Amino acid sequence: MATTITPWSEYEGGTLARQQVGLWRDGLRRLRRNRLALAAIIYLGLLACVCLVSLFWTPYNPNLIGVCPTYALPGTPGHPLGCDDLGRDLLSRLMVGSQVSLAVGLITAAIVLVLGVSIGLLIGYLRGVADAIFALIINVFYGVPPLMIAIVLYVLLGPGLINIIIAIAASTWMDMARLVRGQTLSIREREYIEAARAGGARTGKILFGHIFPNALGPIIVQTTYVVPAAILTSAFFSFLGFGVPAPQADWGGMASEGFSPLLAGFDPYILLWPAIALSVTLLAFNFFGDGLRDAFDPRQRR
Amino acid sequence: MTRGTLVYIIQRLAIIALTLLVVSFVVFVVVHALPGNAFISQRVHGRTLQLLLHEYGLDQPVLIQYWNFLKGAIHGNLGVSLYIRGEAVTPLVLRELSVSCELGGAALIVTIGLGMTFGVLAAIRQNTWVDYLLTSLAVIGYTVPSFVIAGLGIMIFADFLGSVTGGAFAYSPVWTGTYGTIGELWLPALSIGLYTSGQITRITRASMLEVIQQDYIRTARAKGLRERVITVRHALRNALVPVISILGTTIVGILVGVLVIENIFGIPGLGKEFVESILQHDYNVTVGVFTIFALLIGLSNLAVDLIYTVVDPRIRY
Repeated sequence: MATTITPWSEYEGGTLARQQVGLWRDGLRRLRRNRLALAAIIYLGLLACVCLVSLFWTPYNPNLIGVCPTYALPGTPGHPLGCDDLGRDLLSRLMVGSQVSLAVGLITAAIVLVLGVSIGLLIGYLRGVADAIFALIINVFYGVPPLMIAIVLYVLLGPGLINIIIAIAASTWMDMARLVRGQTLSIREREYIEAARAGGARTGKILFGHIFPNALGPIIVQTTYVVPAAILTSAFFSFLGFGVPAPQADWGGMASEGFSPLLAGFDPYILLWPAIALSVTLLAFNFFGDGLRDAFDPRQRR
Repeated sequence: MTRGTLVYIIQRLAIIALTLLVVSFVVFVVVHALPGNAFISQRVHGRTLQLLLHEYGLDQPVLIQYWNFLKGAIHGNLGVSLYIRGEAVTPLVLRELSVSCELGGAALIVTIGLGMTFGVLAAIRQNTWVDYLLTSLAVIGYTVPSFVIAGLGIMIFADFLGSVTGGAFAYSPVWTGTYGTIGELWLPALSIGLYTSGQITRITRASMLEVIQQDYIRTARAKGLRERVITVRHALRNALVPVISILGTTIVGILVGVLVIENIFGIPGLGKEFVESILQHDYNVTVGVFTIFALLIGLSNLAVDLIYTVVDPRIRY
């Protein structure tokens, strides 16, 4: 693992020889100092717990119609967040909704990571014709809003959580691929790659054993930004009516359901809860990403 | 305009044309591969359906259909709508484009106005409460989804304000005509613009902070110039290049916002039409909307790159 040359301003307390530490420990140390990122991590941990609990237990069946009076206000006994227009318990639905958001966010990020890194490494290493074709494809992808690509793909694939994830991943892999390509282009010219090649390392070994670990910082950071972007896109999806099929609760869909009562002047809580949940989750992922960027991306070090 | 600039513009236009060709082809093929057709909801079957499909050329192979579409598109004719049978797509899409441009343009004004003002203010008051307030606003702006902001806006300005003032001053969240009045437009535009202005604020602040430390700012101060002149004429102008470089992304963000917000407020623009046309299998309209969006993004990216040369004469093509 590469240890970077530490700038003078980094030496604390006048001791010149700071202990050399690896990428991970160095990054974690910086992350721990960032209070906002720490708060985000705690929130995300809680969210993960809620999501896990909701897999096995919710106060009421989230899809059961008529467990409480329609439009019951928050604070109604037994229903702390109130009920929606069909008399479903909002707390239960909010808990179950976290499953969709987290699944979409994390799985999409994983797919984008694998796809983007492989394509980026390969293109950056091959250059030439492959790079030209890649540039053309990227140009086309950047020529239309990703949301539109995702919607058309999703309609083609048919409804379902897996297809939402595929559609979003297919419309957002380019940023990662472009980043990794750029990193690869610069890293492949370094001496240690030349040394590895002279030592008879095969292409696969050079790509994944030498170039990939050295580009890891920016890749991690980019991955954490894919998560909120994917959650946001999936929320837009459900909001426009292309979400997970009907009774299944998800935050974007719940917000969408909350709009018609709001426009009719009924109580705004149906919209408010999923909106808050969604916004706070997105904020947390972004803060976490910012913290990671400060911690892992050497170019951004302060 | 130099010869080099002209060549550059022509090259870029060629790339845009190529992108349009690829986008329209892919979308055309994909949309035609969707299960079902535009006539499902009209309950036509058997012979009638066959005749209808034949009338619109839908019984031909997709490639031939695309070739026919392309021949029309070159002459500015994007075909006819299948859902509203026989309605020409080009005037329909152009009318909706003008509505979307009204909304998008308003959102762009909000974005640039709010974003740059906030960014500059945060930079010249670095590490004070002004800075913290504005940067927090920017972070909230670019993380909170636009429909949440729209919902909160309706909650506050339509429901709450309406009930407090007895309905005298309330925002009406319904778009009445084809084009919105300023009273109808401001909340949708703000919902879109808050998101994109967050990014602009961040970039402007960072770029201003860098520029303010430069020697020529100190020189300007030493000359005894007024602080406002230094900020606007010396610092901001030099801080503009990074801001302009993300304008392209910003415009895509605004278009995505337009797509979502139009469906909330019932604004009869391209975004609403896009969602409806997909649900209705109105192939020609979907392809038309897609092509117009791609053209819009291509042209605005070109415009952004040309603005560079105006802001920073050192950049030449």
